[in-house]
Amino acid sequence: MSTRNAPIVGDSFKLGYRFQRYWDTPMANAFFFGELGAGLFFVSLLLGFVPGMAAGIVITCILKTYFHVSHMGVPTKAWRAILRPDRSWISRGLLAIIVWSTFGALHVLNLWFGLEAALGFGPIIGGLIKLIAACAALVVMTYQGFAMSHSTAISLWSSGLMPVSSLVYSLTAGTMLTLVFGWNALLAGQLGLLVNAALLLLVVIAVVLLSLLHGAHHGSPGGRTSVELLLKSRYARYFLGAVWGTGLILPALLLWAGAGSYPAVIVAAIGMLSGYYAYRVLVFKAGVFEPIMSFRP
Amino acid sequence: MARYGMVFDLRRCIGCNACVVGCKQENTLPDGVFFTRTLSEEYGVFPAVNRVYIPTLCNHCEDAPCEKVCPSGATYTREDGIVMVDADKCIGCGSCAVACPYDQRTELSKDLFTQGLFGEGELTPFEEQGYSRFTPGMVTKCDFCSGRVDAGLDPACVVTCPTDARIFGDLDDPDSKASRLIRERGGRPPLPEKNTSPKVFYVD
Repeated sequence: MSTRNAPIVGDSFKLGYRFQRYWDTPMANAFFFGELGAGLFFVSLLLGFVPGMAAGIVITCILKTYFHVSHMGVPTKAWRAILRPDRSWISRGLLAIIVWSTFGALHVLNLWFGLEAALGFGPIIGGLIKLIAACAALVVMTYQGFAMSHSTAISLWSSGLMPVSSLVYSLTAGTMLTLVFGWNALLAGQLGLLVNAALLLLVVIAVVLLSLLHGAHHGSPGGRTSVELLLKSRYARYFLGAVWGTGLILPALLLWAGAGSYPAVIVAAIGMLSGYYAYRVLVFKAGVFEPIMSFRP
Repeated sequence: MARYGMVFDLRRCIGCNACVVGCKQENTLPDGVFFTRTLSEEYGVFPAVNRVYIPTLCNHCEDAPCEKVCPSGATYTREDGIVMVDADKCIGCGSCAVACPYDQRTELSKDLFTQGLFGEGELTPFEEQGYSRFTPGMVTKCDFCSGRVDAGLDPACVVTCPTDARIFGDLDDPDSKASRLIRERGGRPPLPEKNTSPKVFYVD
């Protein structure tokens, strides 16, 4: 009764692997912009780069929300998504976004307009706002990975490395965008730190991706099918070319060889973000449901 | 309180799909939407080939992953173990659909409710009456024909099956036909490694 040799059957009345088709490109866009914005905010927060923090909040609140609503079947009831934080990562994530965007915006306003002095609250409350915003941003950076890994239905996603990949991709995207936006505003030492951090994070992403693929391949027949889709068959060209070539190798080389050049940093950031977006889309597309049984030998 | 479940006798299923048609009619399901399917698989090498039919529907899991991930509380389990979807609460996020290892969730996209079964942009009185239980855009699934069960009837797919391959009953009652089949013929749940404790079993 091994399902190892069952075919991919699409939506037909045949027994075999079925592609998950419920979370597709709009959801990938929402995940991408959510993690991108939160990552940009978090890295900018660490460096005190206020325009980056503001841009991060705007990216997440506008683009992530737009794509979630465009994906949702009944968007008029979207508010109901916050009702089950006790069991659902979607609810937890949405609450984290509300907390982050509120406290993040307060922190940005405080830095820009000096709310501490204007409203008369001390640095302790200002620091508390910053801490809450940072913690909530960390949740936003990772919760989508938890939402995917929480269930065992799709073997490729059912891995503790899924939230780790969300976190490192989010941090890397945030680092690259902070480099681009802050090239003329940040100190030389901060720029050097960001370049080194980005190089290190690109290596960490490579290790996480390899571990994720290895775990899925050896975890179950469904995971193996997904990995083969990504590495050998339908999506191999995009996964190897975009996620690895454009998204990891190209930016690493550009940062390593041309870190002093702004155009090189811009091209590296575009490449990294393209690869990251491709990863988000392909992980959804390569997710398969396993057949409930198979009689093939 | 009963704990309802179903047993599929694979020796008896002939793949006629009468259950599929019965389910669509009972639930007024739009074009392309199925709460139950009879999947088939061919195996072997000529001349020793065979074809097997595997009926599927929502397994009404004890530890339902669709219920656990639902952010709006739309998915819930009744006392009798039937996993339900509240059409008024579902937001159509699809998280239940990607959490169900058995791919038994169905998105009811809005155009299904305007196109009509005959694709002419007009609903028949049958559709108008039946679609009122759904919210366009929601994600739904089989509910073991809960209305029929409440009235003391078997689900539509069970009464439609001409070979008695679908057996519905109380799994807590050791004398029910479903319990006896599971006990005597070694009923096995689908994908037990997913740890969802399904209430649907297969015997062959």
